[in-house]
Amino acid sequence: MSVRDVLPILGFAALVALAPLLVTSNVVLNFMVFTLIIALAAQGWNILGGYGGQYSFGHAAFFGTGAYLTAILQVRFGMNAWPAFAAGIGLAALVGLAIGALAFRSGLKGSYFALVTLAFAEVFRVLANAAEITGGAAGILIRLRADPLNFQFAERSTFLWVALALVVLALLATLALERSRLGAQLVAVRENEAAAQALGVDILAVKLRAITLSAGMTGAAGGLYAQYFLYLDAQIAYGTWISVEALLAPIVGGAGTVFGPVLGAVILHGLAEATKTVAGSIPGIDLVVFGIVLILVVRYPPRDIPGLLRAWRRR
Amino acid sequence: MARLEVARRSLMLGAAGVLAAPGLPRAQAPAVKLGILQPVTGALSQDGEYGRLGAELAIAEINASGGLRALGGARIEMVFGDARSNPEGGVAEVEKMQAEGVLAVVGGFASPICLAASQAASRYDLPYVVDVGVSDQIVSRGLANTFRFGPGFGVVTQTALDNLVALNDGAGKPARTVVIVHEDGLFGSGMARLLNAELPKRGFEVLETIAHPTPARDMNNVALRIRALRPDLVIPSSYYAEFVLLSRTMQQQRIRPKGIYCVLNGAASNFRFVREFPDAANLVMDCNHWADPRKPRTAELRRQVEAQNRFWLYNTPLNYSAVMLVADAIERAGRADRAALITALAATDGAFTKHIMPYGPTRFVNGQNQAGQPVNTQVQNGDIKVIFPRDFADAQPVFPVTG
Repeated sequence: MSVRDVLPILGFAALVALAPLLVTSNVVLNFMVFTLIIALAAQGWNILGGYGGQYSFGHAAFFGTGAYLTAILQVRFGMNAWPAFAAGIGLAALVGLAIGALAFRSGLKGSYFALVTLAFAEVFRVLANAAEITGGAAGILIRLRADPLNFQFAERSTFLWVALALVVLALLATLALERSRLGAQLVAVRENEAAAQALGVDILAVKLRAITLSAGMTGAAGGLYAQYFLYLDAQIAYGTWISVEALLAPIVGGAGTVFGPVLGAVILHGLAEATKTVAGSIPGIDLVVFGIVLILVVRYPPRDIPGLLRAWRRR
Repeated sequence: MARLEVARRSLMLGAAGVLAAPGLPRAQAPAVKLGILQPVTGALSQDGEYGRLGAELAIAEINASGGLRALGGARIEMVFGDARSNPEGGVAEVEKMQAEGVLAVVGGFASPICLAASQAASRYDLPYVVDVGVSDQIVSRGLANTFRFGPGFGVVTQTALDNLVALNDGAGKPARTVVIVHEDGLFGSGMARLLNAELPKRGFEVLETIAHPTPARDMNNVALRIRALRPDLVIPSSYYAEFVLLSRTMQQQRIRPKGIYCVLNGAASNFRFVREFPDAANLVMDCNHWADPRKPRTAELRRQVEAQNRFWLYNTPLNYSAVMLVADAIERAGRADRAALITALAATDGAFTKHIMPYGPTRFVNGQNQAGQPVNTQVQNGDIKVIFPRDFADAQPVFPVTG
């Protein structure tokens, strides 16, 4: 990993980090923070789905675990928000490892793996909705105490920088993975599992490492969500919306690339916001645009926005 | 000298301008922007639309009757935000409203949206008046900017149980056994747990608690189970579609308990259900938000709503009343200032009578209106009547149901 490889990430970081100095509107900052949270969740999906070819429909299981543990440790056990956040990431990664161990050891692939992850997320949602410790249907509320020690900030810009730092870490980790032996093995598994196995790749170990890393990243996004909005219920934490967001962004932006998830999240959410501003009076118009982008991306291979641009330039 | 000359010239120009335009009205006070937050896309869009309608009607009424008097007849300008049925949407819209410079925000509908949006508003000391959201956490967080005119979950369930006992005692205690039917998600499970704990203390025997998923496409098994158990009362906690299905299935299978008693039900206080399935809906009782039937303004507002081919849902009077509350507080504050408005909202008392809810004299403690209460309604011959509390009722309860 040379300096040249890291330059685009640093450029992106500088661009976003300077945004609060140029834009004072909290509307824009709020949009950027939410997009970064989605990008982080999507980056997690990208490791397993994009590089490893294991398409999960249930990344909500990790997002929700990260979010809930961050909240529960603070609200029920009076823990400080920072270690609670770290614990949330840890537990999400563990849940990833456990689901991976169950699914991959049984040799589940493709749509079967997707369905199992979806089922896990749904089971977690139902449990969280009924359990006492998660606040059940009433949800769990983190008290508003704006203090950096509590992982809460009076200014939206500060939160933006924290979220950005995490996304940059995730980008660097993805880049390092791409250049590493594990990354190469992961891509080999994605391209041809049998061939990879024949070459001596321990498929199970590779997949397990990928899902653990992936779950940890998406869990971090969940913890961030909890600290930003300070309220969770089962539908938010384990709902299908986040599973869909986490997989749409990389698919649109370029699965199996370092910048794909960030690009996808920015394009999807940017487009949605722009449409809302232009045609704000029609409820749901931005969702229509969301749908059209998805149809276009899936209909015309190579199936992501950078691919579309390349194909268009070649003409 | 030169400066004086300029001043004099501009003064004369100004005077000439006033003289030259005698037909123009006096300069209008700048409009006051009021944020109306409702989910009009996604799962809650029906509720959101009816909430928006109530706010629109209130704003139109205030503007038509001369605007805000304390501010020189300033009009209220609505800044609408679509909360898109989720908390992030609510927060994003509050940020936009803040950028637009609203004086206060009204609405939210669902508790998660209210919780997140009021918290976002509190960063700017922006007054936030919750319209429906019943979660007790909304007013227990110590947020000075957040107010709720309607009742919370604790008050609603307590009232529902008290009124059930009063209703039963009044009829000579015909009901003793109960079957609870609830949706297995969000609020149904919590409600079922609470009923299971509280009903035995009040002399009722819970025969069985039956859970069903949302959405559910078939209620035959639930209905058959109820038939086998033969309870005196059925207490359902479900959303609109599932309750409609259950009541129709029970009607088809001729299951007639002595009463169907709902708490915060999605359908039993909904005219759509009453119009579309009058037989299944007849005599169903509900403990829910509802407008005060004895106030003349309620009937007028209902006519206005129905003239637009819309149904009369509780969202409309609740939002109408919440906007009226804000307008009243602005009048008392005497200026378009957020801190003054928060003080005025907190000081609201019985002199505020422009709302159309069946509440006693308004009094806010920690942002919660102490007079906010649900009422018991019953569907009677195609209309939804208030049967409890007696001070606000416009009909006698029909209980036990016979025949």
